[in-house]
Amino acid sequence: MPAAAILKVLVVDDQNSVRQMTRITLEQIGIRQIHEAENGKQAMDTAALQPLDLIISDYNMPEMDGLALLRAVRGHPAARKVPFILLTGRGDRELVVQAAQAGANNYLIKPFTADILRQKIEQVMGRLS
Amino acid sequence: MASLDQLKGTFFDECSEALQQIELGLSDLREGAASDDTINAVFRSVHSVKGGAGIFGFDDLVKFAHVFETVLDAMRSGKLASSQDIVDTLLQANDVLSDLIGMSRSGETIPAEYGSECRASLERILQANLGDEGWSDGGAAAPADFEGLDFVPVPIEDLAAADEQPAEQEYRIVFRPNADLLKKANEPLYILRELRKLGTLELKAETERLALLPDLEPDRPYLGWTGTLRSMAPLPQIEEVFEFVLDDCELVIEAVATAGAAWPSDPAPDAVIADMTQAAGDIATPVAAMPESTTNSPPLAPSLEAETPEAGSQPRSAPTKASASGATTTRVELEKIDRVVNMVGELVIAQAMLGQVVHALPEDISGRLVQVLEEVVHHTRELKDSVMSMRAQQVSAVFQRMPRLVRELAGKTGKKARLEMVGENTEVDRSIIERLGDPLTHIIRNAVDHGIEKPDVRAAAGKPEEGTVRLAAEHRGGRIVIEVSDDGAGINPERVLKKARDRGLVSGDASLTEDEINNLIFLPGFSTAESVSDISGRGVGMDVVRRNIQDLGGRINVKSERGRGMTIQLALPLTLAVMDGMVIRVGRETYVMPMSSIVECLRPPASDIHSLLGTSGMLQLRGNLVPLVHLCQLLDIAGTNAASEERVVIISDAGDGARFGIVVDELCGHQQVVVKSIEESYGSVPGIAGATILGNGRVAFILDIEKLSDLASQNMPNAAAQYAGAAATF
Repeated sequence: MPAAAILKVLVVDDQNSVRQMTRITLEQIGIRQIHEAENGKQAMDTAALQPLDLIISDYNMPEMDGLALLRAVRGHPAARKVPFILLTGRGDRELVVQAAQAGANNYLIKPFTADILRQKIEQVMGRLS
Repeated sequence: MASLDQLKGTFFDECSEALQQIELGLSDLREGAASDDTINAVFRSVHSVKGGAGIFGFDDLVKFAHVFETVLDAMRSGKLASSQDIVDTLLQANDVLSDLIGMSRSGETIPAEYGSECRASLERILQANLGDEGWSDGGAAAPADFEGLDFVPVPIEDLAAADEQPAEQEYRIVFRPNADLLKKANEPLYILRELRKLGTLELKAETERLALLPDLEPDRPYLGWTGTLRSMAPLPQIEEVFEFVLDDCELVIEAVATAGAAWPSDPAPDAVIADMTQAAGDIATPVAAMPESTTNSPPLAPSLEAETPEAGSQPRSAPTKASASGATTTRVELEKIDRVVNMVGELVIAQAMLGQVVHALPEDISGRLVQVLEEVVHHTRELKDSVMSMRAQQVSAVFQRMPRLVRELAGKTGKKARLEMVGENTEVDRSIIERLGDPLTHIIRNAVDHGIEKPDVRAAAGKPEEGTVRLAAEHRGGRIVIEVSDDGAGINPERVLKKARDRGLVSGDASLTEDEINNLIFLPGFSTAESVSDISGRGVGMDVVRRNIQDLGGRINVKSERGRGMTIQLALPLTLAVMDGMVIRVGRETYVMPMSSIVECLRPPASDIHSLLGTSGMLQLRGNLVPLVHLCQLLDIAGTNAASEERVVIISDAGDGARFGIVVDELCGHQQVVVKSIEESYGSVPGIAGATILGNGRVAFILDIEKLSDLASQNMPNAAAQYAGAAATF
């Protein structure tokens, strides 16, 4: 049972407003150590630098989208085992299937509530305490 | 932590950027200059708006953006081919989206049917091209999950084989600078830093060649480095780092088999290597170029990466290509910047006071002080400029509304017109941007409504059917110059002159040059439109536009070539908060005149001043007669020497090239003044633009030159007023 407070979570989204809302929602479920990145490259820098417990990344980003980031993470010797949740829009069923094939551990449809966020994280990491 | 309202503000700011991107992309698409990337970027922008709108609960926005994005998605996936009609619909959709965002931002209730027509057009496009299954209203309901989707992630262990991404490669690096490397102005430390940017670098310094301290030559490199670089970069990119030192070093870069890497496990610095790296810095970098990391900070960690352990978690300044300007930005509350602007203003005042004190000192004491003060003045000015540039915004903030305006007007008037924009990135103070929208809108409206002709007329005149309105901005001599030009019919001077005479704006026998006639359109009560259309004729004339521009301390000018089009030029100051002023004295009163309106100052002999009946004098200046205005009379100030030879005449430009002379007692000097508004406390006082605090701590009024010239002509008897007024206006 991982303690929410010690989980290191990286939130990746090019939209600051979405990053902040995600941060607030994460804080609501007790997660304290939240890193942010606004693009795939920054995300890789952060992931390469320290062990993360979870990456939550948007799909829709310029240059390196969420799937490309997922593949890069899975291809990175140090970061490849970090659980990955892809943020998607409502209509992107196909994308979610692709994400599963590329090694995403879960997906999250925007907009989401704190309950759903917790549920999705727990599906990946086990019950949070 | 940011409040929800602040976050919404951030979201809407992002929306504005997105709208700009969409507009830009669609314009390219319309011009046929679009690539796949363009449509992708437009799609992404709409998608971002939709995503954010969902999170913040703007459902109308979500619904509309959803249809919009579905069409774009079909286009980018090649299911839907672009056509003129589709692009036009998309442009309309962008307008609707922009309205919806605007209404959501201001908290207005969005009318139920708002944009439904456009939405229906988008849906028609989808149904016509993709059939019913191409379009389902997935945006309406908000399922929290995909029903029946069995999400089975592929285990990470199985992924390695199918890994398509270029994996990280490990390179063995040997780098030993030769004796001449430093002498050729190369710096190994910088090269290593470049290398470090490519991936994870672990190097050991070779110290075998290091000489004993007495034998050390400071311009000789003694160290070499060996180690590994783990990087996704291909070999040539790594070699490129050494491009300039290839002949001056021993270099080996070779790929080795990828090893299972891990995070830098032991962050404790390896003392030997750290010391050596530091030594390398000390030896190789004589004095000034010493990087700060080798002087003050703790020793470098073995993996140079560890120097900034949190670097990745900080917002990096790595520019992303996708942003239109390519620049990275940080959002700062305007209030905070304004506080700095105010403080800089106070600093300017304090510095002026200091200047006065210093200049009052005996010269033997003040000498060195003056030098230091000059430094302070210099830095204060730079500080002011930097802060002002922080407040500056790109004119694109105003320009971006204009393509839509032109589109809509062209549609309404049955004309064909396109807008060309140049210099949207030109920056000017926010306060000016905010007040530029209305005048520009009016000018562009005029250009399309009155300037551009109907397609058949244009064709008959041998012009392309589609008219062009060009909106250009640039910095010129400390001002920003904005030009609106069109290739329409231009001004008809006879008609303008006749109108002006009919309305008694010009006396019947005045002979005017064509330029002077063109500038008549700025006179109050002038409207040339034969029939007042519902577009331009809203009771707001060009005189109001001129007023607006003058209130900003700017000038407006028109040039016209009959049959070829016209250009309206606005020249505006870059900021309203601080300005260059000339301090003048009249009697015992001190005033400040904006330097921008001063053409020259002179002390004319009495013989050059002619008294003409009903005027307060005319100055003969290089063959021209310039009307004079006595500030002491105008402002009713006693005890002046306006009649003596000591008086000074300041030749001013009230705009439009009109000249008149202001008679004052003395020029006290040029200084930067901080403009303080007096309107809040005293209302608008004619002739006074504001107030400022001078170096001696006294308050002085800043004169409004344009209004002074108006006042002067009102005060004079009629016949002369008309003459002086006309002279002042043209």
